[in-house]
Amino acid sequence: MNRRLLPLVGLVAVLVMFAGVVWTASMLMRTEYKEPYGSSSATADNTPRVQGLAAEKADAETRDRDKPYAEVEYRAFPVVGSRVAIWAVAQLHLLFAAFVLAVPIFAIIIELIGYLTKDPRYDRLAHEFSKLLSVSFSLTATFGACLTFMLIILYPKFTNYLMSVFSPTFLPYVLLFFAEAFFLYTYYYGWGKFHPLVHLGLGLGLNVVGTSIMMIANAWVTFMMSPAGVSSKGALISVADAIDNYTWMPINIHRFIANIAFGGSIAAAYAAFKFLGAETDEERAHYDWMGYIGNFVAISAFLPLPFAGYYLAKEIYAYSQTLGLTMMGGAFSWLFIIQAILIGSLFLAANYYLWLGMGRVEGAQPFQKFVKYLLAAVALCFMVWATPRSIIATVSEVRAMGGPVHPILGFLGVMSAKNTAVNILILTTFMSFLLYQRTGKIATVAWAKTGYVVQLGIFAVAAFIVIFLGVYGYFVEASVRIGLSVPQVSAVLVAMVAITAIDVFLFRKPKMTGEVRWGKIPAISQYVLIFIAVTFTWLMGLMGYVRSGLRQHWHVYGIIRDTSPDAFTPTLGFATQVVSVTVLAFFALVGFVFWITSLHDRPAFVAQKKEVRVPLLGADVPEAERAS
Amino acid sequence: MMVPHTVRIAALVLGTTAFYGYVGQLVPQKEVQPPQEILIRADLTTADMVTVGRTIMDTKGLCFTCHTIGKSGVLRFPDLDGVDARAGTRVPGLNDIEYFAQSIYAPEAYIVPGFNPGMPVINKPPIGLTDQEILCVIAYLQSLGGTPTVTLQTTHRYLAAAPGAAPAPAAAPAAGAAPAGTVAPGAAPAAGAAPGGTPAPAAAPAPGATPAPAATPAPGAAPAGAQPPAPPGRGAQLSPGVSTPDATVAEDGGLRGFVGAVAILRPVVSHQVEARLEGAVAR
Repeated sequence: MNRRLLPLVGLVAVLVMFAGVVWTASMLMRTEYKEPYGSSSATADNTPRVQGLAAEKADAETRDRDKPYAEVEYRAFPVVGSRVAIWAVAQLHLLFAAFVLAVPIFAIIIELIGYLTKDPRYDRLAHEFSKLLSVSFSLTATFGACLTFMLIILYPKFTNYLMSVFSPTFLPYVLLFFAEAFFLYTYYYGWGKFHPLVHLGLGLGLNVVGTSIMMIANAWVTFMMSPAGVSSKGALISVADAIDNYTWMPINIHRFIANIAFGGSIAAAYAAFKFLGAETDEERAHYDWMGYIGNFVAISAFLPLPFAGYYLAKEIYAYSQTLGLTMMGGAFSWLFIIQAILIGSLFLAANYYLWLGMGRVEGAQPFQKFVKYLLAAVALCFMVWATPRSIIATVSEVRAMGGPVHPILGFLGVMSAKNTAVNILILTTFMSFLLYQRTGKIATVAWAKTGYVVQLGIFAVAAFIVIFLGVYGYFVEASVRIGLSVPQVSAVLVAMVAITAIDVFLFRKPKMTGEVRWGKIPAISQYVLIFIAVTFTWLMGLMGYVRSGLRQHWHVYGIIRDTSPDAFTPTLGFATQVVSVTVLAFFALVGFVFWITSLHDRPAFVAQKKEVRVPLLGADVPEAERAS
Repeated sequence: MMVPHTVRIAALVLGTTAFYGYVGQLVPQKEVQPPQEILIRADLTTADMVTVGRTIMDTKGLCFTCHTIGKSGVLRFPDLDGVDARAGTRVPGLNDIEYFAQSIYAPEAYIVPGFNPGMPVINKPPIGLTDQEILCVIAYLQSLGGTPTVTLQTTHRYLAAAPGAAPAPAAAPAAGAAPAGTVAPGAAPAAGAAPGGTPAPAAAPAPGATPAPAATPAPGAAPAGAQPPAPPGRGAQLSPGVSTPDATVAEDGGLRGFVGAVAILRPVVSHQVEARLEGAVAR
């Protein structure tokens, strides 16, 4: 048989089989049930049983016709339950959204630096960062749609309420989303196709639109935590007030900064991934530099993040002392010990990366001797920060201590000690960065010695203020102590700004003692970058949980109560399990994003096949393809 | 054998995530349940109210999120040890009951020197204690440094002002009556109650009284007449429809006496850790 006819025969066979199935099914449907003795259907219809069945059916139809519409409050999600399902999807959406919002911020800054310095390396770097955007944007939108549908399906009544309060914001949100897509794809695909200033304008548009989208979504989220603009029964009074609630602006600021830190860390992880797979020194040099810039962005944004956190916490307390104390002293207090371990790990890793990075600069030895002192300071602050007020101990240990509070370590568990530790930690990391920046350089200005002394003096004064106020906090009333964190934070911020300003002038035209050998860094440094990215992601998941879980059994705090089976606040152990699973899912998807992005650099399919086909087909392959 | 870097990265991501997940298992585990709606029976004695009030403060009231008892040093909110001894003299013209009521219903009206304002209005959401629950709380607060005198029939100006509640007309105080705290006629004086008080006529249940079949009258309402005869058992009762996995109470007191009153207050916070793990971090 001609093999070419086989597909046709197959198609006919399929059609015949389909017709056969339809015919058989129709026959079965038409065949009525017959009494064994072959009584007619007319006789059967008169039996009381059949009449009863008919009456029941008619009643059911009447009931169905008259059934009033009733709004469902909750629906269940199989296996994991509605809350965990929403939690995981919302978290994945937020993580990708944070990345998509962050990358354009530092891409445009790097592009601008390239434009101003006329150094094409920066332009290439910005382009490389933006390669990660398009796939991430699609995933963000997909998870966003998934979240919306799941909210409508699983929490219809509550979603309906939120939509009724914020109805004027939804259309602008959708329009802005279209604008985001326009700017993002024009920015990415238009790289090198427009005048640099036009391209920078597109990048600016992308950032403005992206930030606006975030601020609208933040209004919905923060309203749930600190509702405003509604009556005590939930009736809408003012949409503007509902948007501009107590925690809206603090969350906007906190998320804006945190997104940059998170985005920088993921971009650095991408560079590390590429570095580890690089085959040439040139590639390694490029991705080492990219990883350094990504990490620089992440840590630069990370340093002021605790201050934004203070602002957010202050506004939570201002809205409701109960909410604030539930967060810091109630059910969630131990969560902040986990947070301390995460942030301490981040600081340790960030410092370690900087210390390893000194090795790639010639003439780093004079600075490397300080590393042990910096490590001691970081480790000490880490330990203080992670010390709980009440110690987990056995009954006999508790008896021996005279209570759950350790007689000495208990002093380190209070806010005064923790504020001091975190501020010193920030100062130490800043010093690590400063030392790294100075590696291989000598200041040549006439006032160099004076500059060093002044910088050291500023450091010392800032550290003294932080420690003094920390100790002073133990001896004053709460109303005074709460206010002490402001001068502590201010001292650190002023010190960082002042020292950086002096440094800029101090190293204006430095004498170079050694050049930076990009790519000459131990491979472990790249794993450190990935560790930082995972830790940032996990931290975001944890803090997302506390922000949302703080409402406890309320959908909208004090207004709409959660009456679902999931109204209880889960244990921290359970919450961390959900966070861990979500983080793993996120990194599986990030791996997919990295893989898709790396396809960009692969040789074209035609070129790959050409190597096989060239000997067979001869000279019909273009010269350029053959070369590639 | 050289392990591919993708495998190493995957192991690092998995290991880091597992480590943080493990840290999450090391800390004390608490599952916080939403507070149950509580219906206070009308025949609670003052002594019963003290214990019920303490339980409410521990659970639904969230009082000890901020306040302490017997703690000295630098505090964020006033310590409640011996508070009744101070309460009667804090604000001129207010006795201890009126002062406690003001602190609960209008906490911004008076701020204890040295402290910042910050206490929420307790009879409004998110805490939303009922008037009867607040009376129990007041009873407990009176027991801290004083003698509890409040009963469920006691009224104060915040109850009198409550919309929907029948105002309690002033009447000549009986000899030895507490300056504030009015007792409805027909109410059997509870043990430990102030011997007397301003009689108030029977009143409609005030807002906040849980609409239950055997609705407990609001303070100021006369239990006799408005209620079936008081059963011998005393205690709190959950409103209908609220499941009580750990106790079942019939309307006439399936669980009798004070034990029933307290047992039925289902713990809001279930500690899943061993006793040795208990203790929150004070920050």
